[in-house]
Amino acid sequence: MRRLFSSINKEFLVLIRDRAGLAILFIMPLVLIIIMTIIQDATFKTVKEVDISMILVNNDKDSLGEAISQGLYESKYFNIVEEINGEKITDEKAKELVATGEYKIGIIIPERATDAIRGNVNTLINKSFKSFNIPGVKKRTKKSTVNVTIYIDPATSPSFKNMVMSSLKEFTSQLEIEMFFKNFSLAMAQLMPDQKPVKFESFETIKYQEIYASTSGDEMLPNSVQHNVPAWTMFAMFFIVLPLAGNIIKEREEGSAFRLKTMPGSYVTIMFSKIFLFLGVAFLQFILMILVGVYIMPNIGLPQLEIGPHKIALGVMALASGLAATGYGVAIGTIATTHEQAATFGAVSIIIFAALGGIWVPVYVMPPAMRIISQFSPLHWGLNGFYDILLRGGDLTVVLAETAKLLFFFILMLMVAIVYNNYKKTK
Amino acid sequence: MQENKHIIELKYLTKYYKGSSVPAIDNINLNIDKGEIYGLLGPNGAGKTTTISILCGLFGPTSGNVFIDGMEYQHSSEKIKNIIGVVPQEIALYPSLTAKENLTFFGHMYGLKGKELKTRIDECLEMFGLMKNANRRIKTFSGGMKRRINLIAGILHKPKIIYLDEPTVGVDVQSRNVILEHLKNINKEGTTIIYTSHYMEEAEHFCSKVAIIDKGNILTEGKPKDLIKSREEYTDLESIFLNITGRALRDE
Repeated sequence: MRRLFSSINKEFLVLIRDRAGLAILFIMPLVLIIIMTIIQDATFKTVKEVDISMILVNNDKDSLGEAISQGLYESKYFNIVEEINGEKITDEKAKELVATGEYKIGIIIPERATDAIRGNVNTLINKSFKSFNIPGVKKRTKKSTVNVTIYIDPATSPSFKNMVMSSLKEFTSQLEIEMFFKNFSLAMAQLMPDQKPVKFESFETIKYQEIYASTSGDEMLPNSVQHNVPAWTMFAMFFIVLPLAGNIIKEREEGSAFRLKTMPGSYVTIMFSKIFLFLGVAFLQFILMILVGVYIMPNIGLPQLEIGPHKIALGVMALASGLAATGYGVAIGTIATTHEQAATFGAVSIIIFAALGGIWVPVYVMPPAMRIISQFSPLHWGLNGFYDILLRGGDLTVVLAETAKLLFFFILMLMVAIVYNNYKKTK
Repeated sequence: MQENKHIIELKYLTKYYKGSSVPAIDNINLNIDKGEIYGLLGPNGAGKTTTISILCGLFGPTSGNVFIDGMEYQHSSEKIKNIIGVVPQEIALYPSLTAKENLTFFGHMYGLKGKELKTRIDECLEMFGLMKNANRRIKTFSGGMKRRINLIAGILHKPKIIYLDEPTVGVDVQSRNVILEHLKNINKEGTTIIYTSHYMEEAEHFCSKVAIIDKGNILTEGKPKDLIKSREEYTDLESIFLNITGRALRDE
């Protein structure tokens, strides 16, 4: 036990005297979660908070143009630009501005677009009332298509493009219904002159009630902080692999490992001292990142992190994740022969684990094969566990499976390191 | 446990590294007596490091037996490690720790503790002229000072056997003199020293017995003076070494 404590003390002294290393260990993860949360905050913000510039060229000057224009202005998703330097934007100019990437989207409503829609509505009503031969209703049967042109910057994300398209469809379909209803009402008035034409009133017949399901019944609103702090905390904690593997390789390169192997006591004791210290570092990183979510983020315009009532579960998940990360670091440090190997393999493999784990793209939108592979990522287990606690209100019993998987990964990595170490002895 | 005057016995020791058809050491038999300063001399790739590594218990031989004070690593690894001290060629210390912190850590690894450890550290630092630098970090030390601390870390627990791998490489004359002088004093107290070096003149004066090895074989063995005496045409160990191992350049 004395050997273990002395070794932990030695590791602690080595760590605290490396100021640059300390800064990387503690400041970089904090910078990472703050930046990533701010960047990803837009995707979680309410409609009012988003402000994306978009060009609108309204050549129609009638109901359709007005409906689209009004809808876009009222939605407040977008900052609508119709003029530049006091001059109306033309079709060509709009295309040029989008092509150069200055604007993400340009919408061109053609001339007489409303007339075309009106004609189409009349055609439909004519068909419906053909047999009644109503004198006021025009006998028009020709259908015409309205081409609203939308210029899209190729760099625009598909989700933003889809949001614009669905908004436009919503505005135009409402206009079509309104026109159809008015003309239908007029036609009916012709058939039944005693009846007053009914005024069109738009109202929601179906209401959607959004309730975030949680196992505990605690209501934790998902927001950028609730999603991003656990995700990037997991990511940052796993980056402890690099200094840990570097520490093992440095000890080997400097010859101390050689000396230690000739001394009494198991080399596993030395490894456990490293695991113990770096687990402490990982846990401290976790606490700092949680504190940033709770106390710093609300002061920089982000929502506050709600850690909920299951703090023990959170601590257990953090320790299990830290163990998985340190175990992985020991395995890489044992197998890699140079700092370059450890740094490159370590960093790239963590990014792969993170990608598979759903830190960038949710696992449920991945192709089926990737969804299966993602089940083997320790970052997926960790992230799932943190989401269970921070978003779904789960307690320790809910995250037992994830904790067990992370502990299994830790033991597996230690076994890999021990087996490889013994294999090297037989070479 | 075997009871005899040999503290180290190598019996038919052979080592093949994986993937190599050439043995690193080839059927070596060697006995080293208690209290000896034994020099293992040889050009690069001769098999010195392999022999020392097996003697330190870093890995086992392909065949043959190693007895350290009558014990074998397979059965008594911890006991053997308690009676040996290793001084590697590299400065195997933690540069960001002070001399005292390094020695305290290695002392604890050898099972020393408390006042006993503190006294022993002070004694060694005093012996090697490093007492006033005890609380300085190793990275601020000169090459010679680092070598001396490197040596202290291997002798702190008063081992029965010390393995020295080129202990004076890259140090100034003064440091070399201090190191060798104190090693001789330690040897006088009964400690056996196994020493490797490329400095033939140093080996000639420092060692009580030497073995010149090459290509995994012991080519000759004996007291330096006897080896020189037996070959009238040579006046020093270096000439004999060159004659036996050849003048061709060696790469690892």
